[in-house]
Amino acid sequence: MPQNETITGLGLDEYKYGFVTEDQPVFKAVPGLSGDIVRQISHHKEEPEWMLDFRLKALDVYYSKPMPKWGGDLSKLEDTLDEIYFYLKPQDQMERSWDDVPQEIKDTFEKLGIPEAERKALAGVGAQYESEMVYHSLKEQWEEQGVIFESIEDGLAKHPELFRQYFSTVVPTHDNKFAALNSAVWSGGSFVYIPKGVKVEIPLQAYFRVNAERMGQFERTLIICEEGAEAHYIEGCTAPVYSTDSFHSGVIEIVVKKGARFRYTTIQNWSNNMYNLVTQRALVHEDAKMEWLDGNLGSKLTMKYPSCFLVGERAHGEILSIAYAGDGQHQDTGGKVIHAAPHTTSQITSKSISKGLGRSSYRGLCKVYDGAEGAKSNVECDALLLDEQSRTDTYPYIEIDENTASIGHEATVSKVGDEQLFYLMSRGLDEAEAMAMIVRGFIEPVARELPLEYAIELNRLIELEMEGSVG
Amino acid sequence: MSTMTAGPAESTLAAADFDTLAGGLTEPEAIAVARAAAWERFTALPWPTKKSEEWRYTDLTKVGFEALTPVVPATATAEALSADVREVLGRSGERAGVVVLREGRVAHLELEPEVARSGVVLCSIRDAADRHPEVLRRALFEVQPGPAEEKLWALHLALLGGGYFLHVPRGVEMPAPIHAFHIVERAGTLSSAHSFVYGESGARASVIDEFLSDDLDAETVSLHGATITGEGGAGIEYVALQRFGRGVKRFSTQHVAAGRDSRIVTFNVTLGGDLARTDVTSRLDGPGSDSEMLALWFGDSDQHFDHHTLQHHAAPHAHSDLLFKGALTDSGSSVFRGLIRVDKGAQLTDAYQTNRNLLLSEGSHASALPNLEIEADDVRCSHGATIGQVEDGQLFYLMSRGLTRRQAERLLVFGFFDEVLGRLPMEGVRARVREAIEEKIGL
Amino acid sequence: MSRFVTVARVDDVPENGTCGVMAEDLAIALIRSGGEVYALEDCCSHEEFPLSDGEVEAGEITCLLHGARFDLATGEPRALPAVMPVRRFDVRIDGDDIQVDLA
Repeated sequence: MPQNETITGLGLDEYKYGFVTEDQPVFKAVPGLSGDIVRQISHHKEEPEWMLDFRLKALDVYYSKPMPKWGGDLSKLEDTLDEIYFYLKPQDQMERSWDDVPQEIKDTFEKLGIPEAERKALAGVGAQYESEMVYHSLKEQWEEQGVIFESIEDGLAKHPELFRQYFSTVVPTHDNKFAALNSAVWSGGSFVYIPKGVKVEIPLQAYFRVNAERMGQFERTLIICEEGAEAHYIEGCTAPVYSTDSFHSGVIEIVVKKGARFRYTTIQNWSNNMYNLVTQRALVHEDAKMEWLDGNLGSKLTMKYPSCFLVGERAHGEILSIAYAGDGQHQDTGGKVIHAAPHTTSQITSKSISKGLGRSSYRGLCKVYDGAEGAKSNVECDALLLDEQSRTDTYPYIEIDENTASIGHEATVSKVGDEQLFYLMSRGLDEAEAMAMIVRGFIEPVARELPLEYAIELNRLIELEMEGSVG
Repeated sequence: MSTMTAGPAESTLAAADFDTLAGGLTEPEAIAVARAAAWERFTALPWPTKKSEEWRYTDLTKVGFEALTPVVPATATAEALSADVREVLGRSGERAGVVVLREGRVAHLELEPEVARSGVVLCSIRDAADRHPEVLRRALFEVQPGPAEEKLWALHLALLGGGYFLHVPRGVEMPAPIHAFHIVERAGTLSSAHSFVYGESGARASVIDEFLSDDLDAETVSLHGATITGEGGAGIEYVALQRFGRGVKRFSTQHVAAGRDSRIVTFNVTLGGDLARTDVTSRLDGPGSDSEMLALWFGDSDQHFDHHTLQHHAAPHAHSDLLFKGALTDSGSSVFRGLIRVDKGAQLTDAYQTNRNLLLSEGSHASALPNLEIEADDVRCSHGATIGQVEDGQLFYLMSRGLTRRQAERLLVFGFFDEVLGRLPMEGVRARVREAIEEKIGL
Repeated sequence: MSRFVTVARVDDVPENGTCGVMAEDLAIALIRSGGEVYALEDCCSHEEFPLSDGEVEAGEITCLLHGARFDLATGEPRALPAVMPVRRFDVRIDGDDIQVDLA
């Protein structure tokens, strides 16, 4: 069918940058999960006693919580977990300069298509390679401004009080089964602190890959954006294609203080065997603004619902989400906004595309507590179906306890219109180009928010792959 | 076979067994066996809790089912119409027939002779069980509810005996609606009634079920089920106007099956009771079928209204359109949980779902869960939900014209409802519903 | 005006432990931390779940359902997903009795 060819031509289904570099981990735990593994991780990271206790307790919580029965099919995940390596560490030391970065890892970046010049232009790269930050450099002016952008491990080691004050207050261990798992075995991720009033002009970019077969990735990121501060954090992940199931379960905690603005951009393109179960949540104070820009491609199953807890007056939360479910993939994504203070506002925009036997589901929550006077929320979900067998679902929860709130939710489902297609073809485009243009137009409202000026490979996935691979 | 005269012995639900419930009744084998099986299922299943999605916002475990006295209606009687019913009828325009049910038992039934001559059958469900046991068994006992609804549905079937049966033969167009009154009089009872409406090819029928009681001083539960089936090209309009008094908790499960090119309208108006749960499932079985699902509610005091809907597109080229609007004041609360499901192969589906809520007071709250599950690609589906207040501008305008805030607010609610009322095809039914709403919101 | 009602014995609430009691249709969680006894409404403000099943540490109680934490002295939320406080009650010890102010 020409239509299928067209969409295949967009190259979204195949993991384009799937490749394997030989991994040489310094430390590799045995597969599977146990108290001993947790102790080893903590010991290896030379953590304080309280963190070991925290991890061990989290492991018990993980065991005590049942597998979620909603969302995607997790029935095969438990078997997978026995085969996962819960910790890998490729190098002992953090690299401080580009010259010190091992050639193998440079090769990895090379293959990801980041030109040398662009790499240097990147203001700071926290790169995660097999669960650890391996490359990390900050511009001098940031350090002068007091901005902390470290690996999560260094954050704990160097800023123990700041770390402990916020860690696990946004996503506590008991929140859900996978937050508990992450709390037990977390490794890698970023620790970011933006001091009061500091505006970070260039986005902070963390960039990591999962590379060892059967390896679980449990990144943990903690971000504190102080009063009046502004920053943009970009994270992208790619994974090579492997035959056995793989698992990623991250926890992202963000605190946006009074009058601050923070944007968190993730584009994830996991290999088709990946379970990607992430809890990412922001606590948003008075007059602060939080934006999540979330792109989900690839994986076997993604369950991810970025959240904004609007706890201060006039706090604003925004969630922009693109999901692409190719054959055999299930993208169960969406967003949550919790209005707990007067005059808080939020907007969720979700665009999903399902192809072949792909399934995309929007799952969202809009909750307005009694007393959140004048709260306003608007949710728009659009789903595009490319094949007869494709599936899309929409499951919003709207719970309103405040009568002065104004809440709207709209969702539409459509296929690529024949008229639209014929029109474009009558203007000289071939069918492939026409289809690509329609898909591009469909996601454009969200895609235009991507920081193209820092177009590292993952950002290209949406824009360039869709535009460039046709024909 | 015929029904017996004596009703069963009475005990609480907790103490009841099937023999006491069925005591004194004889009924066709098919129905007796199916009812006994339903009772078994009912006793075996646990009550669903708030942990199940279907009961997330309505705590069924707080309803004291066990202490209620189940009523299994026995023989239909032929009572004269009571004054209150006569009064409503006197203001409701033309009708083709009247049914009065008390705790589900048919107390009065009449059908215009001319309509009867055209082949329309209107009888008690018990008589229908005798005459058409297989039709009833298939229509009722083969319905497979979801796991969380199974317990209540099984109870409804086990108690089945109340209700009426309307059958409109091929090509017959009823000139006016059937008006049924479901009256609950006895506090502390658990009763059940079923509305069975069947239109053959090309038939036209209109039914209004009106539910009423005084304010009752003990917790009382009324179960209701409706099966509304339209064969090819049939047109059916079904209205459920619920204006129970306080003390009554009401659970209604309505199943619509729309055949090829049929058009079925359901309209639920919820005004009364302490708690009202209404489940409406519309199954679009035939290509070209059309289901319009409408609802209005106005909740005050601490009333809680919970609506669950399913627009199930099993055939291609079908159309469904849902519009549910509610207004709440005092500590009233409501839930709308609706699903559009489009099966694989149900191409060229047009399905829409809209839920709008007005919160008039600080203590009121509403939840909306408009869901979609789409497995065909050539579809046009959309849903929308809003929760908000009446517009200040409109309110102030009306107040500047001399209305009190309350009057202005109520008038705006009425305007808000009008969009839905306007979609009722039969003028007489529309007038009756409008009147009942006026009475409730006190214009 | 305060109205203290005896709800438990001092021995009923161990250090870093809890005790759920009913007082005039109100479910109350008694919690002891640092020698002090605190009383909070026995229901998490996030989703209905008894706080008396929770864990006590450093002046806070953690709800075991989703990990929300509350300040024992004020009832204010200290960790998401809770965003609203739980009701707190004044407590006094009268001999061996724990009394809670229901006013």
